[in-house]
Parts: sequence; structure tokens; C-alpha cells
Amino acid sequence: MGDTIYLAAGYAVFWIVSFVYIYTLVNRQRHLQKEVEMLEQLAQREGNGE
Amino acid sequence: MATPTALTQQTKTEVTAGGFNGGLGLTLVSGILMLAALYMALAWAPDALNLEAPAERYAQRIFYFHVPSAWIGFLAFIVAAVAALLYLVTRNPRWDIWGLASVEVGLAFFTMVMLSGPIWAKPTWNVWWTWDPRLTISTISWLLYIGYLMLRGAVDNPERQARFAAVYALIAAISVPINWMAIRWWRTIHPAVVAPGKNSEAMGGFGMSDNIMLTLVFCLVAFTVFYITLMYHRIRLENLKRRVEAVKQEILYQ
Repeated sequence: MGDTIYLAAGYAVFWIVSFVYIYTLVNRQRHLQKEVEMLEQLAQREGNGE
Repeated sequence: MATPTALTQQTKTEVTAGGFNGGLGLTLVSGILMLAALYMALAWAPDALNLEAPAERYAQRIFYFHVPSAWIGFLAFIVAAVAALLYLVTRNPRWDIWGLASVEVGLAFFTMVMLSGPIWAKPTWNVWWTWDPRLTISTISWLLYIGYLMLRGAVDNPERQARFAAVYALIAAISVPINWMAIRWWRTIHPAVVAPGKNSEAMGGFGMSDNIMLTLVFCLVAFTVFYITLMYHRIRLENLKRRVEAVKQEILYQ
């Protein structure tokens, strides 16, 4: 294990950074979805004259 | 003219259908290629014969992901510079989105380079870090692109933000060719395995056998497809974000 520790750490870096970045994209997508739903409700309320 | 309700409905459809479902084919191909690249790098590629210490020999395999990450970092920053130039000429917001997406994705890959480099350096050079020309220029480059995102965050007006970012991206791109040539121009301990120069100070270099070269080329292709996939999703996300902003303005100021 001692000799392969650097190899394992090196590859872990690639996967961790990739997954963290993909997670931020997914999160922003979710946030956007919530915002659209909120806008939709707002638009409906204004359409009903509330 | 479309009503806000119709606009939000259209945007909602795009949010639901787009992003992580729309590019499913591309995402799948990219995932398969990355797993295949991992297999080739860890199991298929032969050991570098001249490296005798086991830790150094194992760490050499970091090269198969380190070099493609650096390649994508360089490519992404050049794409951002081209997009910046196109934006300044045409003032089309599409190129601003391309520039932003490319810097962001490129920065993720460059972060991988900055973190994996010291992990390889420790068993090879016996130090995590040294202020060698290549490492110093890479750090400057990395900070320059973090600065690009900070600059965007500091300017509110969208048109000014895009213009400033475009000029900044063009200037920052100068670091890319300097970075590429650093291991060929100056005395540095960073090896130039791809297109090597005559640097006798380099430590940790190795000969490129056919299978090592084939693995590297495969990893370069896999990373390029991964970059295209991330660009696709990031551009789509930014388009939707701007659409949502526009709808919000329309609802608030109607």
C-alpha cells in the first residue's frame, strides 16, 4: 500500500474534482428549476388579478 | 408577444428537458471513455522501464490523467480567448457564455493539474513543491483564471461584465503559450515527455513506448470528450439562467 499511496491519491484528486464540479452544475440546475416554479406561481397569481 | 406565464412555461420545459437529460448520449459516451481511460492508465499501460523505485514507478501513472488535464486546461483557456475575441467583434452574448463556460470548466481541469502535480512530485523529486519556472507559471495561470471569475462577480452591469471579461480573457491567454514553452525555454526540473526539449535538469522523465503513447492518446481523446460534455451542460445552464433572469425582469417590471 505504501508504494501505491501516491498513485491512489493522484487519481482520487481527478475524480473528486470532477464530481464536485458536476455536483455544482446539478445544484445550479436544481436552483434554477425552483426559481422557474416560483416565477410560474407569481405569473399565475398576477394572471388571476391577486 | 408571449405572456409571462407562457414564457415561464417554456423556460420550465427547457429546464426539465435540458441539462442532464438533453445531453444524455454525450454524457454516456464521455463516462464510458473516462472509465476505459482509467482502465488503460492503471492496468493496460506498461511500467516505465527506467524508473526503478516502486513508488516512483506507480506515481508515473498519474501522468496519464495529469497531462490530459493540462491539455484541457490549455485548450479551455484558448477557447475562452477565441470566444472573447468573437464577443468583442460581434457583441453577441453567445460568445460571452462560451467564454465563461470554458474558463470555468478549464479551471476545474487546471485545479486537477495543480493538485496531482505535487502528488507525483513527492516520490519523484522528494519534495511536494518547488518554485521551478513551469510550476510558478502554472500557479500564475491558475490564479489568473480564478481572477477572471472574481472579475465577473465584481461587475453588475451584464454588458460591461462581458466586455471586461473578454479583454481580461485575451490578456490571461498569454500565459498559455508561455506555460507550454516554459519546460523548453528555461532550465527546469519538470520533464517534457511530450515533444521533449534538451533539458538536462529534468527529473522523472521516461521513454514513450508504443503502448504508453497509445494510452496517453486515448486519455487525451477521453478528456477532450469530457470537456465537450461539460461545456455542453455549462453553456445550456447559462442560457437557461439568462432566460430565467429575463422572465423575472419581465414579470417584475410589466
